[in-house]
Formats: sequence, structure tokens, C-alpha cells
Amino acid sequence: MRAAVAPQADDLILSVREVKKHYPIREGALQRVVGHVRAVDGVSFDIRRGETVGLVGESGCGKTTLGRVIAALADPTDGGVHYSMDGEMRRIDRLEGKAAQTFRRNCQMVFQDSFASLNPRHLVIDLVGRPLKVYNEAASADLVERVVELLEQVGLGRQHLFRYPHQFSGGQRQRISIARALALNPEIIVLDEPTSALDVSVQAQILNLLNDLQKERNLAYLFVTHDLSVVRHMADRLVVMYLGKVAEAGETQAIFDSPHHPYTRELMAAKPDLEAEANVEIRGLEGTVPDPARPPQGCRFHTRCELATSACGWEIDDIVRWLEDAPGMFEHLVGVERTSEFAAELAFDNEEAAGLLSMAVRSEQVPEAMRAAMRRLNLDGTKVEIEFEDVGEVELTVRDDGRMAACVLTPEEVASWKNS
Amino acid sequence: MTDVQQSRIAAGAMTADTAFRVRMRRLFGVLQGMASNPATVIGLVIIALMLVMAIFAPWLLEPNSPDPYQMPRDWGAVRKPPGTPGHPLGTTNEGGDVLYGVIWGSRTSLQLSLMVVGSTMIVGTIVGSIAGLVGGWVDEVLMRLVDVFLSIPELIFALAIAAVLGPSFGNIILALAVVLWVKYARIMRAQVLQIKQHDFVDAARVIGDSKLNIYLRDILPNAVTPVTVQATLDMGNVVLIGATLSFIGLSEAGIAEWGVLVSEGQAGIASGRWWASTFPGLMIFLWALAFNLVGDGLRDALDPRTEGR
Ligand SMILES: Nc1ncnc2c1ncn2[C@@H]1O[C@H](COP(=O)(O)OP(=O)(O)OP(=O)(O)O)[C@@H](O)[C@H]1O
Ligand code: SF4
Ligand SMILES: [Mg+2]
Repeated sequence: MRAAVAPQADDLILSVREVKKHYPIREGALQRVVGHVRAVDGVSFDIRRGETVGLVGESGCGKTTLGRVIAALADPTDGGVHYSMDGEMRRIDRLEGKAAQTFRRNCQMVFQDSFASLNPRHLVIDLVGRPLKVYNEAASADLVERVVELLEQVGLGRQHLFRYPHQFSGGQRQRISIARALALNPEIIVLDEPTSALDVSVQAQILNLLNDLQKERNLAYLFVTHDLSVVRHMADRLVVMYLGKVAEAGETQAIFDSPHHPYTRELMAAKPDLEAEANVEIRGLEGTVPDPARPPQGCRFHTRCELATSACGWEIDDIVRWLEDAPGMFEHLVGVERTSEFAAELAFDNEEAAGLLSMAVRSEQVPEAMRAAMRRLNLDGTKVEIEFEDVGEVELTVRDDGRMAACVLTPEEVASWKNS
Repeated sequence: MTDVQQSRIAAGAMTADTAFRVRMRRLFGVLQGMASNPATVIGLVIIALMLVMAIFAPWLLEPNSPDPYQMPRDWGAVRKPPGTPGHPLGTTNEGGDVLYGVIWGSRTSLQLSLMVVGSTMIVGTIVGSIAGLVGGWVDEVLMRLVDVFLSIPELIFALAIAAVLGPSFGNIILALAVVLWVKYARIMRAQVLQIKQHDFVDAARVIGDSKLNIYLRDILPNAVTPVTVQATLDMGNVVLIGATLSFIGLSEAGIAEWGVLVSEGQAGIASGRWWASTFPGLMIFLWALAFNLVGDGLRDALDPRTEGR
């Protein structure tokens, strides 16, 4: 576990502010936009000099998308990433000329797939030397020496200069990628699951290498991963993402000691430790991740949260989803007429099915919290009218201990559930 | 110049040399892959012989003057069968030496295929790259155009253009060029769209390389494989289509071109004078076959799943 260093205000490198990235969903011959995948939906956090921020969450929660926005590979739909330059915070998508170049040189990225991120037709000397050539930092013999130096820093050497990427193992290729990222002596490197394609033993070597390089060069890392056990050893601070939003953020040690968000807790329970036996079956979180094009109301995690309360954003979609697995009812459902996300009239083709539903939603068959959130339930022949409490988005807020979580429960409530 | 500077320059040259040798070894690997396929080797041998014939034509048979690409006429020796002294493959109705037509015809075919394939490959690659890189309405417009071209069968399209332009060898080249560039445009666009997605393109953007450099260093070199294969196949196909157009009279009478010779000789086949069409016809067949064999072999040898592994 790493000691957390108290950050200084002037140590700020990057500030991510309310970043959103929505991808349009197109359909039909005319490719009309029928909706948006809200891959990243309003995320804020800072990265300071020399620290590692771990960005964690399940597959599809928007980690890569956010990493790409931060590395200026994609423009945000809304919000922005600000970069500290000459004592000023400047939006990276508005930088031009020299300033854009300065940012470009100082923010590098290492990709998950070491094979795909190295041009298969380039030799190591071309790959690692390329950044130096782009900025005319070195040529001919100088270039060779600089590349050899970089290779040596990542545990490779002169003998590897004239080889193609396919002649290396996955771990070695990732070392080449790291050497390339180091070439311009950046302030920060975005590491997008740099070790998740590697064997456990190789993974540890690469993680150690990254730690050593960070100490030597005072590098900052944004370490993207779905594997909590990896960031535990790497990150000073964590940003836990769920469906495009931050569920919880704070110092790694503190989060591991007492997660303030039920999702974080579940994530931690789902993953075996790095030290634990290899090949143990990794238990995923229960339930399916909702569609990021139609994220749940209230708290986005309420569809899977065991602690969910009546204030967590129960909505018509939850009833419909529950109905899908309810034989004797779903096949009789003929229409859902919504007046809002929270209120609708469900029409069935017979009275029996409608009656069944109105009974079911009053019973143990649905979560207690869902029942508690119901403001109105009205059976009218073949129609069932349902209305839930209208709940706004559960925002990320500061807790008593200074940490951030987006949950209606207090840390104590989350902790007590953990112990029960 | 100081010693240090000098030794650095020497080291730089050595690096370039090493890199060159490694790249050559990779190329050699591709050639080795091709050499392990007997069909490809046969194709390569035929092509080599054809090239030798084309290059050394003036030394093999004295060029006809004033225009060596016109068949020589020997009115004293018309319709001679193969084996006639001075005319080992016989002569045509007009006393043209069939061997002359076969040998100088290889030059004509080489000209035709190089000009057509060269120009269509360049135009198609540029158009396809622009469509794939720029996208949007530019891509839309260019690809609609390509679709229109591809909807008409090659031979019929080329025939129509050549017929409109009037019978001449130059017009056959032009017609083929107009028809065939679209294939390269389509291949190139698909390649660019696919390669653009690769992480190594993003990696190049992250280090801040220019768009032109990314195109030239990352996208284009990874797209050349299918373009090269298509070009090789077309080297054969172009001669086949060209010969077909010549055969139906869209070329110039009397030139040393295999299709024209087949066309002019076919009337005699019924009377037993098979040689005037058969030898040039065989050449067309061998030429097309050879390039198709090599094209297929190249496709296998350049297959990214096997290349260099
Ligand atoms: N270019 C794109 N166009 C449309 N949708 C996209 C695009 N890229 C990502 N998405 C969608 O955005 C969401 C977030 O994807 P992203 O790759 O950022 O997730 P991730 O957290 O990195 O997941 P993983 O752990 O699988 O890498 C997903 O639902 C994905 O399908
Ligand atoms: S707000 Fe908290 S308790 Fe409610 S669903 Fe979300 S995580 Fe669970
Ligand atoms: Mg990802």
C-alpha cells in the first residue's frame, strides 16, 4: 500500500470538469440519430504531479472513453479537461500552436492491446524513436542512443532495436509502448488497462516498472482498469465509475478500508486479490449493467443495489424489466403509456394479468424499496396505473470524512450492511 | 569536422544499414513464402520469361522499321506453316512473321498492363484514401460514383468506351484505365477505414505526429497488401480484356498485339491455318495465368496471419 502524499494546489496537472461524451446511435437507411450512448456523463476529478489516480469500474462504464478524452484523442460532448500551463488552467480542446504541442508532449498514453498499438511494420527503433523525430529532438546516431537509453529504462536493450513487434512477448511489447510514452518526458501518462492482457507474473513486473519510473521521473498516472486489486497497489486515489458517472472517489487506502458506495463494496467483494491463487474463478457482479443509452433514474446503480431505498429512483423501467421475467403477465402486456419516467399506465389484454401485476407489486415478489417508492397503484380492469416518487439524480457529494460518494445512504449505513 | 561528429555520422549510417537489412530480410521472408508454393513459382517463371522476351525483343528479332510495333510484311511468304525457314512459327495471311508478333506482342502487352495498372492503382488509391480519410459527404459522393462504375460489367463498360473513342490501341488503354480504377478506390477506402481504427494510429496521434505522416507511415504501408495483390491480378486481366477488345476490332489492324493477331488469324483456322491465332492466343493465356498464379501466391504470402511469424 502506498503512502498518500498531501497534494499541493500548484501541483495540479489536469482538471477534469463535468466531462460528458455521448455517442450518437444511428438507425435506418437515413442514419437518423435515434439516441445517444452516454458513455461518460458528467465526470470531474483532478490529477496532480507525481500521483496515480486509479479509474475503475466494470466493462463498459466509460473508462476508455474518458481516458481518450483526457489524452485529447476525442473531444468531449460537454464539459472539458483543463491543463495547468504557466500557472493557468486551460481547456485542452482549445489549445493551439505551441500550447497544444506542449500539452501533446506532456500527456501520453499506453493502450491495453500492446500488439494493436504498435505498427506491425515498424522496427522498435522507429516506434520508440518516432516521438523524438516528430519534435526534431534527435536524429541518426543521437536517435539510436536516445532510443537505447529509453529501452534500458524499461528493461530492454540495444539488441532489441531492429526487431518487429511480433517478435516480442506481450510483456515486452508493453515495455516498448511504455518506452515510447516516456520518450518525450511527459508529466502524465494515461494507462488504459496496461496489464490486463498479461499473465499475472508479467503483470506484476510491469506494475513494478511503472512504479519505479514514476518515482524516478515524478510522473503522474491515470491508471484505468476494471481490476481493483491492481489499482490497490498502484493508485494513491481512486475514481470509481458506474455507467458513465462517478460512484465514489477518494484515497485508495480509505476506500479499501471502508467503501462509502455499495457499488464499490460489491466490486471489492467480486475481485480476488492479486496475491490470491491464479485461475480462481472471478465472480462478476450480480445483475446486468443497464443500457448506457437509457441510464436508470435517481441512482444509476439502483437496479442492482442490495441496499437500495425508496429514494433511489425507482421507475417504470424497473417494473417493465421485472415483468420480462414474469410468466403469465409479460405476454399479455400490450402497452405502456408513460406520462414520465416515473408514471405510466400498463395495459394488458386480459383482466387476470392486470390483477396479477397489481398483486405482485404489493407483495414480496418485488423489492421492498420499490414498493415503498410507489405513490400510486390503481387497478382499472385491464389497466394498471403505477406512479413512483419523482426522484432527481443522486449526485456525488462530500461526506463527513471529506471523501466523495453518490449514494443516499450515509457511510455508516453502508458500513453496517457490510458487517451484517 | 571533429572525430566525435564523424564517428556519430558513421554510427548513423550503420543504423540505417542495419534497419535496411532487417527490412530486406522481411521482404525475403515474403519471397520465401511464395517460393514454397509450386503454382506461384510456375507463374513467376512464366512472367520472368515474358519479361526477358519483352526487354530483349530488339536483340531477338530485328525491329521492323519504321515502326517496330507494326507487323513486318513479307508478301513473298504468306500463309507459311510453322517450321518454314526464317519463320519458325509460320506466317499470317499478309506474310507477317508469327514469331515476331509473339515476341514484340509481349512488349505491347507489358506497355498496356503497366500503363493501365499503374494509372488505375494511383488514381484509385488516391480517391479511396480521400474517401476513407475525409468521410462525410465527400465519401458519400465518391462511393456512389464507384458503385455506378462497379454496377456495369468491366468488359462491356470498356467495350462501350473504346467503341465511342474509336478503334486504336491507345483508346483501349484509356478505356481500361477509366473502367478499372474503381476497384482500387474501393479496396483502399475499406483499408483506410479499417486501419484508421487501429490503436497504433491513436498512438501516433498521441505523440503528436501530423496527419500526413500518419497516412504515409501508418495507414498506407498497412494498406498496400490487398492493393498489390489486386494490381498483380490486374496485370493479367488487363491483357485478357485488352485482347478481347482487340479481337472484336477495337484496336488497330496490323500491330504486333496478341489480341489483334488472334483476331486476324481466326479466319484461317477453318482452312487448317491454326498457327496464326494459336501462338498469340497461347501467349495471352500464359500471361493471364501467370499473373493470376502470382497474385494468389502473393495474397497467401502477405497474409497478415502468417506474415513474418
Ligand atoms: N466509438 C463509439 N461509438 C459508440 N459507442 C461507443 C464508442 N466507444 C464506446 N462506446 C460505448 O460507450 C460505452 C463505454 O465504453 P468504454 O470503452 O469507454 O468502456 P470501458 O469502461 O473502457 O469498458 P472496457 O472495460 O470494456 O474497456 C460502452 O457502452 C460502449 O459500447
Ligand atoms: S443511492 Fe446508494 S443505496 Fe440507493 S441505489 Fe444507489 S447505491 Fe444503492
Ligand atoms: Mg476500456
